[in-house]
Amino acid sequence: MLRNQYDTDITTFSPQGRIHQIEYASEAVKQGSAVVGARSGTHAVLACVKRSVSDLASHQRKIFELDTHVGVAVSGIIADARVLSKFMRNECLQHRFAYESAVPVGRLVRHVADYCQRCTQRASKRPFGVGLLVAGVDELGPHLFETCPSGDEYELWAMALGARSQSAKTYLERHLEEVKQAKRDELIRLALAALRETFAAVRDAELTEHNCMVAVVGIEEPFRVYEDAQVAGFLEAIRPAPEPEGGSATGAPSASEERMEDTS
Amino acid sequence: MHTTEPIVTGASVLGIQCVDGVVLGCDTLASYGSLARFQRVRRIVQPGADWVLGGGGEYSDLQEVARLLETMVTREYCQEDGVVRAPRAVHRYLARVMYQRRSRLDPLFNSLVLAGRGRFLGVVDMYGTAFESHVVATGFGSLLALPLLRKAWRPDMRMEEGAACVEHCLRVLFYRDCRALSSVQLARVPAEGAIEVSEPYELGELQWHVAQTVA
Amino acid sequence: MAGVGSGYDLSTTTFSPEGRVFQLEYANKAVELSGTVVGVVCRDAVVLAVENVLPHRFVVSGTLRRVHTVDRHVAIAVGGMGPDGRHLVARARSEAENYRAVYGEAIPARVLADRVAGYAHLYSLYWHVRPFGCTAVIGAWDAVVGAVLYAVEPDGSVYKYRAYAHGKGRTAVRTELDKVRWAERERAEAMREVAGVVERSRDVVKDKPYELEMVVVGERGVERIDRFTAAESGGERSGGGDD
Repeated sequence: MLRNQYDTDITTFSPQGRIHQIEYASEAVKQGSAVVGARSGTHAVLACVKRSVSDLASHQRKIFELDTHVGVAVSGIIADARVLSKFMRNECLQHRFAYESAVPVGRLVRHVADYCQRCTQRASKRPFGVGLLVAGVDELGPHLFETCPSGDEYELWAMALGARSQSAKTYLERHLEEVKQAKRDELIRLALAALRETFAAVRDAELTEHNCMVAVVGIEEPFRVYEDAQVAGFLEAIRPAPEPEGGSATGAPSASEERMEDTS
Repeated sequence: MHTTEPIVTGASVLGIQCVDGVVLGCDTLASYGSLARFQRVRRIVQPGADWVLGGGGEYSDLQEVARLLETMVTREYCQEDGVVRAPRAVHRYLARVMYQRRSRLDPLFNSLVLAGRGRFLGVVDMYGTAFESHVVATGFGSLLALPLLRKAWRPDMRMEEGAACVEHCLRVLFYRDCRALSSVQLARVPAEGAIEVSEPYELGELQWHVAQTVA
Repeated sequence: MAGVGSGYDLSTTTFSPEGRVFQLEYANKAVELSGTVVGVVCRDAVVLAVENVLPHRFVVSGTLRRVHTVDRHVAIAVGGMGPDGRHLVARARSEAENYRAVYGEAIPARVLADRVAGYAHLYSLYWHVRPFGCTAVIGAWDAVVGAVLYAVEPDGSVYKYRAYAHGKGRTAVRTELDKVRWAERERAEAMREVAGVVERSRDVVKDKPYELEMVVVGERGVERIDRFTAAESGGERSGGGDD
């Protein structure tokens, strides 16, 4: 076991100027099941794999609505995520109360990231062991953000967190230009296709309506979570082959009337 | 110590919504009781690029409100994210502030009028009552000027007309309100483009001879 | 691994027998690891620049932030740990706001630098907190003295500079900074040169792609320089480079 004397305390720098406890907290993010986020010029999409601890237990939900215009997908320690979700929901409500308007997504993320940072600087707390993908829309358009236990935050076109997320990231990287151009249903398809990549190396496992969740938010489309039977239509679109020529999302509970366009 | 009565006060603020923007007007007097104590004070302030605030009532409280808004605007400036607080959001914020203060039994003694880009015109009073309207008048103006503004208002009114109308009402107020003054300030808030807040100027063509015919 | 400070280097509350506080030196290492940060005082402005290394291809361009506006006339460029920098910037903002509320005017740069340094120093004194893993490079337009530059280090020390550099490329950049009389440079010129200095400090083969973030603080306040303009046309002034 790799050990050193500098890695047990959040208030201790290593001689290289690193803080191992923050890095270990970031490892916790990789322990969670996979989540994927993607955004185009009009929409932002989140997708996740739900785990269940036993056949008798329900699946763990990993996407939460925060407000009508913003939601979050989490990976890592879910209990920590619930604290941060509550914090962010509170921020949304506060902003609505004070200004009767929706909080700009970037400011919300900056705020929660600052909160995460504080926990990396004092011994009485531990850092949050969770990574967030925040998808939302404000007057500047759709956004996708990632926050880390370190307090870092990035605005992104696409990202994947959690177990085996590297394969999803590889997929997204390869399809990045498509993601940027994608219409709503195409974006969902790309996100789910990326999510499915995390299953590629796993035997006897596949993405089904029971173990995945999708959320969509867009300009003029409030944040909405799709689960169970509601995602069946989306999954249909990625069924044929890993690289379909613009699979149709017919049967999907689509709120948008946009035409499907073949961008691949 | 809570303020139980205002000391240095401003009088009415008037506002009218036109097709191409909003016009705001008020005089420049801060009275000390019935004494016309400070005659060239600005009661229209512009902390942000997109809106102006006109206020009557306790002048020091108005300065405090202006400071609050300036702080808000500076914080926004620091964000540098391209998001601009809409006039409506500022109006609601003021409503929250005024209502909280009055609930603490420590009100800010003001009637505030906010005019902003996108033809926004709204009022907040010292109780936290907040509403938007086509025509707006606070203080004595709500009795003397509001009927005149309502009568003059048309949906297709332009800002030149609106400004003339507000000026007319300010003249009437000067004739009949003992806390009003002939030195006034006008703000033109076009739906788009730069906001223009005038320097204090004198109302012309005052006709006091009619006073003899008024009981 | 063991033995660098022989057990005297685990807490800011521990002096080594030679009288060093190793944790503060290690915190400074965090700054040395990260993207280069540069600040110069030219004739009519302060130019702040940061080499923002892109972590991966997913980042929306122009959204990485290491230079933050603190008040109408002050910006802080952060070298080192970005989140720590935001913490320090938040404190700087509230100091600036507080000064305005009390005195009704903009906070003088010297006062702000002192207060930020005082705050950073507090985090170097107690076992239950750790020092900031960042330097704050404060660029300000001061009503009395004009363009000024201060840098606050993790140990809470603060100095005024004519030109300052820290981070990965500090050695190369400092050498280049020494050669120029910055006070004689116009801002457009200074911007172009600073961009060049950062570019030349990089290892073209080894280093990851980066975005240059540049902010100029002058009499008119804080201006963010469009990244493309700064890189391509050699730093002509332009409006906010916000996406």
